[in-house]
Amino acid sequence: MTSNLKTVQNEKLIRRIKNETDRPVIGYLCCFAPPEIISAAGAIPYRISGHPGEDTSAADACIEPYGCTYVRNILTRALEEKLDFLDGLVISHSCDMVQRLYGIWTYYHPEDFSYMFNVPHQLTPWAKDFFKRELGFFQKSLEKFTGHKINSDALKDTIKLYNRNRAMIRKLYNLRKEPVPQIEGSEMLDILMAGGSLPAEDFKPLLEETLKKAEQRKPQTQKAPRLMVWGSIIDDPKLYQIIEEAGGKVVCDDTCIGFRVWEKDVPLTENPYDGLTEHYFVNFQCPRTDRGPGIERFDYLLERASEYNIDGVIGYIISFCDPHKFDFPDLRDYLKKKGLPILLIDDNYSFEPAEALKTRIQAFIEMF
Amino acid sequence: MSQNELSRAKRHLETTQKMKEMLPRFFMRMMERKLSNEPVAWCMVGVPPELLKAFDLLFEWPENFGTMCASRQVAPHFIQAAENDGYSPELCTYVTNTMGYCRLLKDSGEVPEESPLPGGMGTPAMLLGSGFICEPRWKWFQSIATRFFNVPVYSSDPLAPPWDIDPHDPCIAKHYLTLLRADLAGQIEFLEKQTGKKLDINHLREIMTLSHEALSYWRDTLALRKAVPSPMGSTDYFHAIIPQMYLVGDQEAVDFYREMYEEVKNRVDRKVGIVEEEKFRLIWFGLPPWFNMGIFNYLESLGAVFAYESTYNVGDYFEVDLTDPLEALVQRNWQRALKMHDYGAETMPELCNPAVFGGFSGSSLLDELVEEYSLDGALMHLTRSCRAVSFGEVHTKNRLAKLGVPSLIFESDMADPRLWSDAQIKNRLHAFLETMEKTRQGGKIDDL
Ligand code: SF4
Ligand code: SF4
Repeated sequence: MTSNLKTVQNEKLIRRIKNETDRPVIGYLCCFAPPEIISAAGAIPYRISGHPGEDTSAADACIEPYGCTYVRNILTRALEEKLDFLDGLVISHSCDMVQRLYGIWTYYHPEDFSYMFNVPHQLTPWAKDFFKRELGFFQKSLEKFTGHKINSDALKDTIKLYNRNRAMIRKLYNLRKEPVPQIEGSEMLDILMAGGSLPAEDFKPLLEETLKKAEQRKPQTQKAPRLMVWGSIIDDPKLYQIIEEAGGKVVCDDTCIGFRVWEKDVPLTENPYDGLTEHYFVNFQCPRTDRGPGIERFDYLLERASEYNIDGVIGYIISFCDPHKFDFPDLRDYLKKKGLPILLIDDNYSFEPAEALKTRIQAFIEMF
Repeated sequence: MSQNELSRAKRHLETTQKMKEMLPRFFMRMMERKLSNEPVAWCMVGVPPELLKAFDLLFEWPENFGTMCASRQVAPHFIQAAENDGYSPELCTYVTNTMGYCRLLKDSGEVPEESPLPGGMGTPAMLLGSGFICEPRWKWFQSIATRFFNVPVYSSDPLAPPWDIDPHDPCIAKHYLTLLRADLAGQIEFLEKQTGKKLDINHLREIMTLSHEALSYWRDTLALRKAVPSPMGSTDYFHAIIPQMYLVGDQEAVDFYREMYEEVKNRVDRKVGIVEEEKFRLIWFGLPPWFNMGIFNYLESLGAVFAYESTYNVGDYFEVDLTDPLEALVQRNWQRALKMHDYGAETMPELCNPAVFGGFSGSSLLDELVEEYSLDGALMHLTRSCRAVSFGEVHTKNRLAKLGVPSLIFESDMADPRLWSDAQIKNRLHAFLETMEKTRQGGKIDDL
């Protein structure tokens, strides 16, 4: 299948912005290392995305075939110099695959700047302290690279800028709570992808415009089954388009790159690190963080399900994605108890064969 | 894979053969205690067994249960039960083995008769996890406590610095050590609460003294494997780790490792090898196929011996001051992180992880091993369901190629024999050795 146009566009755009602003671009994966700090250090944070379905054999020269295909995909892109606009790389210790990618990437394709942001799995007070200290080490290392010192006020201003964008995204999500959502899931994902790719100040006008247009849209009337998508990384709207073609509406999500990142504001605290720790560590709902046993760990999903009045869930898991695969049976049982069906899609980050996917989704949707 | 093609291992040492009497005796003692309703903790490798012993706590290792189920060819039964429950066949088969076991136990209320342990693993009163090495470890006990046994869980989190961060920088050392110390304190607080006992530091020190004595024999034994011909085999190695898991801190374990050391030393002195003609000295990477440990004997029949294995170096021994046994537990982990870092374990930040077994991607460590153990090749077992341990093998292969050391990666699993295709694997192993032989006679390494 062809690469996602929006990702290609975002990549073009970032090259242009980089030329115009002469700021280094720092690519990052996962949401533990705050882009606010990268931004405050005078660099452009850029969330690295893959091109689903593209050949990943270049990765075979340095990693094993058994591994998350998204990770293999982006490593291939780096090795093939398709990410040559990056000046630096930040990888968080999120899942095994991502964390281990760090060493391989920096060995086979060293960048001018690289940092592995270490993150505890527990949510104990000492783990929180560790996270907060790690923010400091991260900041120092960025400052050294960009030569730009970050003071607390500047960081607070950046956080505010990001929060303003978050507020607009929440508004867009609110439009999806309507009986007939005024914005499609695939459109929303395109916007979120731009949010990860562009500097916050460039993303802001784009959001304002989108919001204005969406609010002005004539309310539609044709209802369709309302779905939530849960699972691994989805940084390409293809799946959402397939769901839409099958007659469903994706009205909310819980995936690596979706609402999770934008849902809440970073609390504005006296020491900005406290707010960042709260947001990026404590509140950030990634299954790699241990929230203890018990199905209560999924309560946030149920709340979202009722807020968006969903009929069912589509689970999307990439091959070898341990954190999601392990959660699936617990989640499935929990949703079942609450009367919410889930359709599980196992994929190798290609959304292929699309026809077969569509047929399965159609059959699922017909239940409603 | 039909079961009759799989074979159990032949061990070479008298000491390791004696385990066949020693372990059942131990398991019977455990079963008696379980029957009298003593609480059992299920634990993961990475939880210091010395600590559990200091609380006089009965403990089980689901991972090790996985290896036992695999050796007895019953793992597929349990793995299948987990798959029926919705667990993906891609997931760690030690985990799915446990999940299936729990499912069957829970559904029938009885210990599944396939259990290789008499009386099974018991019902856990608490779960003590350790998140070192891999992600599955975080999800494993979380799900057990969610789905099967609603018991308290403590998972420890021994993080270590990535390869490009200098752990000798005092600020970095403090950053990590603060976490390691607090985490250990958290673990102890949990154990005190669950057992209703206070930790007796003096008792812990005594246990650690004995455990370190045993470990030092183990370290010395492993060093004896530098000798040519090879005095012990992988089948001895992989079985000999078990006493350290269960009998830790017991005089029995010290005696076991001392006897083993003496036996191996004696063989070295007398130049007694495990094969008649030692043609290839290899290093083994990855977890072994527990359902088919006979593969090591097969390789031996072709003149290939392993002088080193990258996994389960539970006995990696560090001199630490035992005066303060808690600090010693922390230092034992930290020293390992420093060691791996100093060797340049570039590919795997987590394998610098303090508590990890292996981590032989440290570049200069490879050089050192090749030299000291006179290695001339490597076999790498790529376990499909345990990516955590097999990750880095391709990189290690690249590093070895630079040293002129040929290697072969072959795929299967540590517990699930359904992923083993005997004829195909044996053909590949055979062909690899043949090519090695030819290369010696003037061929090119590229052929490998
Ligand atoms: S899809 Fe899963 S395995 Fe891949 S990067 Fe995301 S969490 Fe990790
Ligand atoms: S290291 Fe491998 S075998 Fe051990 S628990 Fe993790 S995935 Fe399973």
